[in-house]
Amino acid sequence: MSWSWPGFVQPSSAWLALLFAPLILLYFLKLKRPLHQIPSLALWRQVMNDQRVNSPFQRFKRNLLLLLQCLILGCLVLAAMQPYWASGPARARYLPIMIDCSASMAALDKEGGVSRLDVVKSDVREIINNLLADQVVSLIVVNSSGRRLTDFTNNKKLLLSALEHLTVSDVPSRLDDGLRLTQALSRTFPIERALFLTDGNTPGSVDLELPFQIAMQLVPPGGANLGITELNARRSGDRWEVFVRIEAANVGGGTAQVEFHQDQELLGTEQVVLDGGEAQRLVFRAPADKSSYIDVRLIPSGFDSLASDNTAFLELPALRPLRVYVDRDLAAFRKALQQLKSVLILPESADAKPDPILGYDLVISSAADDTVPQAPVALYVGQVPPDVQALVKVDTAFVKIVDWQRNSPLLQHVQLAEVQMSENPVSQANVQDRDYENRGYEILAHAAKGPLILNKDRDGKQSFWMLFHPDRSTLPYRVAFPILTSNLVQVAMQKAGLSEIQGQATGALPSRFAEPRSSYTIVGPTGMRQDLTSSDEGLLTGISAPLVGRYDIQKGLTLTAKTGASLLNAGESGLKVVDAIQFREVTVKANEDKVESDQPLWRHFAIAGLLVLALEWWYFQRRPGGW
Amino acid sequence: MTTSNSQTRFTALLDNSILSRLERLRLDPLRRLTVHSRGEHLTGKGGNSTEFSDYRDYVPGDDVKNVDWNIFARLNRPYVKLFRHEEEMHVVLLIDASSSMLFEKKLELAKQLAAACGLMGLMNNERVSVYACHHAGTQPEILPPCSGQVSRRRLFQFIESIQGGGDSPLEAAVDSVLRRHRGRGIVILLSDFLTFGDLNPALNSLFRSGLEIHGVQILSEQELRPDLSGDIRLLDSETGETLDISGAAELQSLYSDHLNWQEENLTAACQKRSGRFIRVSSNLPIETILFDNWRRKGWLR
Repeated sequence: MSWSWPGFVQPSSAWLALLFAPLILLYFLKLKRPLHQIPSLALWRQVMNDQRVNSPFQRFKRNLLLLLQCLILGCLVLAAMQPYWASGPARARYLPIMIDCSASMAALDKEGGVSRLDVVKSDVREIINNLLADQVVSLIVVNSSGRRLTDFTNNKKLLLSALEHLTVSDVPSRLDDGLRLTQALSRTFPIERALFLTDGNTPGSVDLELPFQIAMQLVPPGGANLGITELNARRSGDRWEVFVRIEAANVGGGTAQVEFHQDQELLGTEQVVLDGGEAQRLVFRAPADKSSYIDVRLIPSGFDSLASDNTAFLELPALRPLRVYVDRDLAAFRKALQQLKSVLILPESADAKPDPILGYDLVISSAADDTVPQAPVALYVGQVPPDVQALVKVDTAFVKIVDWQRNSPLLQHVQLAEVQMSENPVSQANVQDRDYENRGYEILAHAAKGPLILNKDRDGKQSFWMLFHPDRSTLPYRVAFPILTSNLVQVAMQKAGLSEIQGQATGALPSRFAEPRSSYTIVGPTGMRQDLTSSDEGLLTGISAPLVGRYDIQKGLTLTAKTGASLLNAGESGLKVVDAIQFREVTVKANEDKVESDQPLWRHFAIAGLLVLALEWWYFQRRPGGW
Repeated sequence: MTTSNSQTRFTALLDNSILSRLERLRLDPLRRLTVHSRGEHLTGKGGNSTEFSDYRDYVPGDDVKNVDWNIFARLNRPYVKLFRHEEEMHVVLLIDASSSMLFEKKLELAKQLAAACGLMGLMNNERVSVYACHHAGTQPEILPPCSGQVSRRRLFQFIESIQGGGDSPLEAAVDSVLRRHRGRGIVILLSDFLTFGDLNPALNSLFRSGLEIHGVQILSEQELRPDLSGDIRLLDSETGETLDISGAAELQSLYSDHLNWQEENLTAACQKRSGRFIRVSSNLPIETILFDNWRRKGWLR
């Protein structure tokens, strides 16, 4: 700690020093000693002279009572002024303390050791206990989001209680939310410095401009760790191929056995031996004739600092053909779809009715009204979305595509440069691209004066809108057309979970379809419960999954589905430590030394006053002859 | 012990029984410092006592009544019979009657001891004189030298009449006494010896005057074992000076050390001048002091 002068929280209490005047006055008034007549002072004078020679502090001793009382009063006055050793030149009155509660904070340092969060708690507890009277602290939890545990307060009981209830969330660390929250607080409170306590397993850069200083204090990282960092499945014929990636932390690896379970049935085991920083990918094959629940368990043979990354879950649907509804008059699309495997083109005949039970995975239609069935993915051709009809009108004119988004899933590898259309969408005057974006549309392809293809992905449904009809363009005669159709099918298959499945990471589970307007209860690990109601479209959204484990979706007492959330984060499992965080304008370096807090000294003065009082009592009340 | 009725007592200072016991005792000085006048203290020289000492040849001028006629009849030569000479001893009683002696009957005890010593002196044909010192710079009260039993009443009346008070230090009192005193003998200093000055010059003067020094320090219980505590202001009864002390309780051991050291010093000072020193408490009965302490220490025989 850099040395600095002590400061006073309540310097106004110095007026209490005026009490010295009445104290001294009363002392000398009271000092009218009882008169004791004796035959002669001869012997007593010799005694006093002898004592003065042997006791150099006799002069003080003569007024020892006054000295002790002045000492007591001095201690009390100083205690009332609340002195402190400042931790730095700028003493923070409002101190937000951000505590990293991401998954890596649960890492232990050794077998049976303490977690990183416990170490941080200990440091924060010390800061809280050393709070000065005019200092207020707000505890902010930082994991994948930011959450304010307490308001700015100096209520130690409240702060300590909030701190004790703080637990690790099995989610990766993201600083943005926590810092934005602190940034928002700084608009209300004069925050000059914020304290961030972490194990260093954080993003290395944050695109944010800080209006305050931030002190980043690192606690030592956890010990050796093996963890599952990826779990996904890909369709391989009539089976699923499940890929599992095991990574070892930089600080050390080890050996472990990986067990692969499908619906609680052990399908296979693998042994992995990894050094620090190494990774290994494992492949398991699983039958796909029915939907199943996969869990992968990593069983380390030695010490493993992080337990939350030792299990991962995957929900595999049963494989089936993609059900595609295509208008009977869209022959080009039907022709293109017939070339693709695992695609069932519906309706097969003109008089066939839509199947409301099985439904469709993809709809391709030239109409956008209620006569067209609904599906998670839809392509409307020659239609202008109803909510952007005020922004654009379609003229009849030859037009070419000016530009398109080549990285869009729909337009990947699609060459539209030479395609000509006879319909020309023209945006209204003063209409900008952001006006479409404000209505939830992304422009995938631009004509000279307006959008040609729009994309809307909202409420679990993705819809593509071609503002021109392909039949009135050269598109069906280009090689781009079958590629576009294939991309559309891939998008639909992914949406339906028929081509590739990703393990769900903790945080918030993706929306899923259920019965419309129904109440569901989600029962998570450790018995946590969450009540949700599906939307009118039957979409169940906002499923919170802060912990790794299985989540049962119940309707009443009936289990309707089960899913799982896994950590699946290489950064958290790798226990990587960043030594600095790059902000927009500054770089904040991490400090492994404990951040010094202002040290209040009033307790010391109060105790000193008490001790002097006890000393005075003992000295003047002891038995003659001493103890 | 029998107590006499005050109307039948010879003196208020001492009980008749004590007086009768004292009449059979006498002071026993360490050295024979006497005056040449006739007395009951035998000297080594020829004298007129009945105790035979030696023979010598008769020389003309000798009193023929001293010739031993029996020897003359046998040897036909005159021999003069010599007897041991008895001389008087001067007993000087110096009573410190200053204010410090008024505490806890210290002066009463001093007067009783003076009466006892004076009585023993008179009963043994000593010359007894008494000096009572009060105020510095003033003449002491004096009982001129007297002897014989007829002087008993005079002695007792003088001692009884001594009133305490004053600020006379002992060394000044000694100087006043020596200005008037003549003759060898013993001086009995009855005082508390609590003086600011140096006693050695005074003791030297007494010794040079042919007086054997018998120091009797009379201290009260409060002086021997003071029971003080806390912060107090001590007031000197003689000078009126004050002394503030804090934590008196813890000073008591130091006071006790000084008291012992003073006793050793006074004892050594008296012994160096062929004298004696004794400390008595004012609480002790006079009989205990006289017939126990003093007799054990050989002050009386």
